[in-house]
Amino acid sequence: MADLVRPLFVSTIRLGKYADPAVSLSDINALILDYLTTEGYPSAAAKFSKEANLRPQQEEESVRARRQIQHSIHLGSIQEAIDELNDLEPHVLDGNPSLHFALLRLQLVELIRVCNSTPGADITPALSFATKELAPRAPTNPEFLEDLERTMALLVFPQESLEPQLAAILHPDLRRTVADRVNKAILSCQNQRRDAAIRNLVRLRAWAENTARDSKKDLPARIELGLDARNDGRGDSPMIS
Amino acid sequence: MANSYPSGSPGVPDSSMPTGAPGFMPRRSSYASVVSGTAPPMSQSFQQPLRSGAFSHLLNQNADFNYDPNYQYLSGHMRYDSRAYDMDFGANGAYHGRSGSLGRNGYLPSFSSAYGSVMNGTGYSVFGIGHNDYFFVPSYLRGSKYVQKLEEAHKAKIQAHKDNASAQSSQAGSLSTSASSVNLHAKMPASHRGIAYEVIEKSPPEDGTLAPLPSRWNSQDKYGGLEVLSDGQEVKFTAQKTDRDRDHEACAIRADHPMPPQCGIYYFEVTIMSRKREESSIGIGFSSKDVPLSRLPGWEPESWAYHGDDGHSFGCQSTGKHYGPPFAAGDIIGCGVNFRTGSAFFTKNGDHLGTAFREIKGKLFPSVGMKKSGEHIRVNFGQSPFVFDIDGMMSVSPISSTELRPTGQPTFGAGTPSSSYHRRLREFLASATTFVPAGVGEGLRSWLKTSMLAEKTKIYQEIGETSTAKLAPPLNETELIQSLVLQFLSHEGYVETARGFADEVHSERKALTLDPNVELETFDIKEDEDAGHRQRIRAAILEGDVERALKYTNAFYPQVLKENEHVYFRLRCRRFIEMIRQGAEMQNPTATPAAKKSNGHSGDWYDDIINHEMELDDQQPQGNNWDRMDTEESSENQMQYQQLLQETLAYGKDLQAEFKDDPRREVSKALEEAFALIAYTDPLNAKEVSHLLDPKGRVAVAEELNSAILSSLGKSSSAALEQLYQQTSVLLEELREGGGHGAFVNIDDFARPKPGI
Repeated sequence: MADLVRPLFVSTIRLGKYADPAVSLSDINALILDYLTTEGYPSAAAKFSKEANLRPQQEEESVRARRQIQHSIHLGSIQEAIDELNDLEPHVLDGNPSLHFALLRLQLVELIRVCNSTPGADITPALSFATKELAPRAPTNPEFLEDLERTMALLVFPQESLEPQLAAILHPDLRRTVADRVNKAILSCQNQRRDAAIRNLVRLRAWAENTARDSKKDLPARIELGLDARNDGRGDSPMIS
Repeated sequence: MANSYPSGSPGVPDSSMPTGAPGFMPRRSSYASVVSGTAPPMSQSFQQPLRSGAFSHLLNQNADFNYDPNYQYLSGHMRYDSRAYDMDFGANGAYHGRSGSLGRNGYLPSFSSAYGSVMNGTGYSVFGIGHNDYFFVPSYLRGSKYVQKLEEAHKAKIQAHKDNASAQSSQAGSLSTSASSVNLHAKMPASHRGIAYEVIEKSPPEDGTLAPLPSRWNSQDKYGGLEVLSDGQEVKFTAQKTDRDRDHEACAIRADHPMPPQCGIYYFEVTIMSRKREESSIGIGFSSKDVPLSRLPGWEPESWAYHGDDGHSFGCQSTGKHYGPPFAAGDIIGCGVNFRTGSAFFTKNGDHLGTAFREIKGKLFPSVGMKKSGEHIRVNFGQSPFVFDIDGMMSVSPISSTELRPTGQPTFGAGTPSSSYHRRLREFLASATTFVPAGVGEGLRSWLKTSMLAEKTKIYQEIGETSTAKLAPPLNETELIQSLVLQFLSHEGYVETARGFADEVHSERKALTLDPNVELETFDIKEDEDAGHRQRIRAAILEGDVERALKYTNAFYPQVLKENEHVYFRLRCRRFIEMIRQGAEMQNPTATPAAKKSNGHSGDWYDDIINHEMELDDQQPQGNNWDRMDTEESSENQMQYQQLLQETLAYGKDLQAEFKDDPRREVSKALEEAFALIAYTDPLNAKEVSHLLDPKGRVAVAEELNSAILSSLGKSSSAALEQLYQQTSVLLEELREGGGHGAFVNIDDFARPKPGI
């Protein structure tokens, strides 16, 4: 019964006059399929379109190809990712120097990571890669130059005492960011929508709460999403964190 | 002379009136006479929310088993298109043409059905069916949730009328869009998930909070010398100065309704129709109800206006400020109020004149005032296209505004058929901010920012840049979404998908983990028994196998169908319709190849288990047989068909016998509709009835049954993702009050994936 008691968070009496928070399962299903397809979860997307009886949004193969490239980037295998990308959509990198630079720069980061993790390792491969691949591109854009300089600084400073800005470069989030960009670039090249709608919805939820608080609307101190298993009386929700 | 015109009558050219404008007559009478020939003011229809609300409530119940013919179940782009049609709003104006026609469609059926009901002498006519309510949506408000609600309320009313009329005149016009269930509402106070059309079918709010849009001049709210013509669209100063005491300086009039702040921006245009091309003494603006009408708007407190003689703006005082050029006959003046910023602007012949007023407050009615005999204006409250590109100002491409181009430049209109407005605006902004010298340009820049940059684009961009870090710390956006999706999938019983997704997420996180020794938490997807059952029941209905769904439901939730008789009835009806449908497909095998495919076998193994374990084999396993016949000999096929036909008829007789004494009109109507299908040799292609056979109709039935089961389990149906949606919806509603940011934001722009980039 805990579920029934769990309030929507705003007194329905006060907002009763509007009360159309109805959302149909079909709407949410569409949102899910869109997400699984766009962000590249091929087997989930395929299974979902079966289980929910929805027409697939894209061929499974096409989703899988994008996932493979993302996966290579997540793993730090950038050269592999670039090759796969060139096989799949040869024009993506040509038409997008900024993305190409980001990939090459990530490749440099990965080379440096290898050097840093093995004491006394040879930094020559990293240096020659930077000279050969990145340096010629850097002057075309001030941002490239800055990124390159910062990355090279990783070779100079000891890893334990990096300032946050430099440490961030070594964080795997950079891989995720670059992988997302590549995924979007492919989608865009294939004339598909780039952003999953669910991201917009989640941001809208955050924005709406921020804005309502800023304008001093009467809200509870914390609005629970109901993700936490402890709040879910049925305890069937798998938790990630 | 003035009194020879009954106020509010359509304008009739009067040659004895030298100050008139006969040249304009055909133009101005054309539109209004088409749309509202005999219509009493729109206000009438909206000032009776209690009555109409009660009425549609009644009818909502009655309309229980119709399904929405607009609703497309099939996924993919088609589906999204149809969504847009459901609501009929496109943020970027792509649906303009369609929305326009919808407005008229909505009107005409109401007219005819009202007529029908009068002819049939139904008792419902006391509820005010006699009046027509012409409904229009100003183009720039098409993406507005508030106007969507107005439209829904209007549709519900039209529907109510139509249902009523069609009940009297056989099923011909019973193309109902209803699927809401009042019963379920009562049982499920916490959540209404699963009732797909509730939004569309909701009755108008009983407390009347849904303020109507201004639609005409109010002939009851004017100063004596003015004449209201052309069904409330025109105003003319007809009194001769010499005839009257000079006890007033001017004559003013207000519109029938105040401008609703929920719009975010309200905009209307006024055409100066006076015959003489001399300077006009017309003031255009808005005022509260308390402002005397014997003066021009703008001179009095609580009134604001732009005056034609000197081009000055008057904000609550008798002295004006220099604002824009003077205006006179032939000019079109627009007036816009931005309720979020509390400011107002005017346009002249399509050109934006800049912000005229700030700190505007109150319940404000569009208003015009004039001083000279013969002056004459026509208003456009949004019934026809505007001269100024207000649509561009309100439009936005929500998706692209949240993205960055590879170069890091925000994109404004990319991804939509980029309106020229956006392009011009972008160029203008670029040049203005680049080349205007610092200092001199500050004012211009800030003015540009506050008044020119499309409000909606600005807000949508802001939303796109909002951090979600605070929603569920320590999860970042990606992790949060993964959690939401995973929880939804297992909550709803999509077990296979949940496992597949969990694996993929796990492998993604593993790849992103630098230290190979770190143990990543794995996801344990437990199968929720009820979720699994509900899922299979739903799947069965969506495949058209109602029999299987009934069997599962009776096996697992024996009380549900007893306690929810209307759901049971709908299922039975749907089953009958599916039988007809199968018969029609056998006769016409090429008609719907997709439907055959959809009769998959995914449920069969489960079916077997149930039959085995639960010994339900007294049921005829007929449900799955008919559609596997497409390769058979045609004679055998014909035999099969005859057999099916017999079974269908037998089933229909049972159905009839079971419900024939049911006093409820919705029951008899649904039966009539279903039985009418037998009369058609090719019902799939008979446009009168083909909508009844559409697989889309399964969705509503499936969701209603799902809700009934959930409610019988005493469970809230909400997964966190659904709660998040509902919370967003409620929060936006809060923000919409008083015309805040929320007025510009439509949740559907965000939560509904759209086709294309």
